[in-house]
Amino acid sequence: MDFTLKIWRQENANAKGRFETYKINDISPDCSFLEMLDILNESLVNKLSHPVCFDNDCREGICGMCGLYINGHPHGPDQAITTCQLHMRKFKDKETIVIEPWRAKPFPIIRDLVVDRTALDKIIQEGGYVSVTTGGIPDGNAIPIPKYKADQAMDSASCIGCGACVAACKNASAMLFVSAKVTQLSLLPQGKPESSIRVQKMVAKMDELGFGNCTNTYACEAECPKEIKCSNIAKMNREFLFAKVCTEENI
Amino acid sequence: MKLIQFASITKKMALAAFGLFLLLFLPVHLGINLCLLREDGGEWYRNASHFMGTNYIVKVFEIVLMASVLLHIIIAILLTIENFLARPVKYKVKSKTKTKTGSKYMIITGVVIACFLVLHFINFYFVKLDLIEGKYTAEIEKIDKHFQQKALKLQKGELNEKEQAQLMAQYQAISQVSQEKMDMSQKNLVNLSKEEVKLYCGEDFEEYEPDFYVMSQDLFSNRLYSIIYIFVFVILGLHLSHAIKSIAQTFGLNHNKYNYAIELVANSYAILIPIGFALIPIWIMYIK
Ligand code: FES
Repeated sequence: MDFTLKIWRQENANAKGRFETYKINDISPDCSFLEMLDILNESLVNKLSHPVCFDNDCREGICGMCGLYINGHPHGPDQAITTCQLHMRKFKDKETIVIEPWRAKPFPIIRDLVVDRTALDKIIQEGGYVSVTTGGIPDGNAIPIPKYKADQAMDSASCIGCGACVAACKNASAMLFVSAKVTQLSLLPQGKPESSIRVQKMVAKMDELGFGNCTNTYACEAECPKEIKCSNIAKMNREFLFAKVCTEENI
Repeated sequence: MKLIQFASITKKMALAAFGLFLLLFLPVHLGINLCLLREDGGEWYRNASHFMGTNYIVKVFEIVLMASVLLHIIIAILLTIENFLARPVKYKVKSKTKTKTGSKYMIITGVVIACFLVLHFINFYFVKLDLIEGKYTAEIEKIDKHFQQKALKLQKGELNEKEQAQLMAQYQAISQVSQEKMDMSQKNLVNLSKEEVKLYCGEDFEEYEPDFYVMSQDLFSNRLYSIIYIFVFVILGLHLSHAIKSIAQTFGLNHNKYNYAIELVANSYAILIPIGFALIPIWIMYIK
């Protein structure tokens, strides 16, 4: 298969970026998207020019490092997959593919397609954890948790923090990410005691970092590689309201 | 960047709460408007307007309503600016993600509705506030009472020459008042300009009210206005289609058990309310 690639190139955060066009030929339909970029980069290196930078790690959809905005879709045109799980057979032969980095104010570009997603880590640092005193390992079955709750928490916990929700949202809002973390922890007995303070802290951090405000458009849900549901956002809203109105611990 | 120092969720909830109040007002307004469909020369409609214009509870709600409109608009604009700033460099390829049309264009449909609201205020509310001249109506009984008081003063010789002349002019005018200036029940003078109010009711008569019936009939007889009116309500339908679902989500109501009920209410609201409003110009244009 042959493709024309239009790729965003930018030397560093402050440099002025531009689109470069590359032609790439004889790509197998079974090739993954990142493999295709590897092939392109090899040819660029052979020509002694700088390869296209892009983030990736596990290449099996579990780490959340990869993330490209491909033809108007975060993680490309397929459903419920990350960029590394995308195959070239999802594109038409001779198609022009436009590849852009995640675009949001809290995600500054490091180089080319690599963006700095530390902002998401900062939100987690605000409260996306359970405070426990160390000691002996607790017995696995000591705290009973109903199966449906465990399932719900697991669904929320499947968020890999790739930032596709922010990239997809027309407001660059991180509500789906934050709500998944808030929900996952507050559903379980270990996370429950801190839930009111957690939601307030994490939302405050999210706002401070410059993410947009959610307008319930649900583009995040449609593009999430892990199919996190917007009901998480509703739960977070509920919890936030409860925390502000009914608890004494306000931040 | 934060333009107002509240948490994003707090702002959203405020926006939703004011929106909810506006939503609840719509059926009330629609109910009054539907009185226009009754072929009674505007009796019901004028009664309803009279009630809305004089009842004290309604007056309190009027202030709340105006505040809601303003705050809903202001918060929406601030949020939109913040959201715009959250992505300083835009994508080259516009998002291809499938989302609901209503949700994507809330601010645009909102602006259209706000523009119409300005027009609507100029046409009606400003008349009520006496900033713009409109058409007026007054109860004949009240005019009579006012006239008799004046006549009494005349007998006692308390009126000066100018006032006497005015009273005579009023007497003449009112005895020759044409049928067109009376409503079907023959209880009210209607369709009066400010001049005519002074002529028929006397200079210092104050108990006249704006004649919204005549004013709305005048507006709807203008085809362009009617078409704009119908267009705006299609846009309002689009705005409403996202409104109720969004309010529910913002207040955390999202559950498989009742989501279909919210959906049902939201969709029927978004369809029935605009149809109800648009029915009136259509009725006046084609059926009447
Ligand atoms: S590289 Fe790990 S999810 Fe794609």
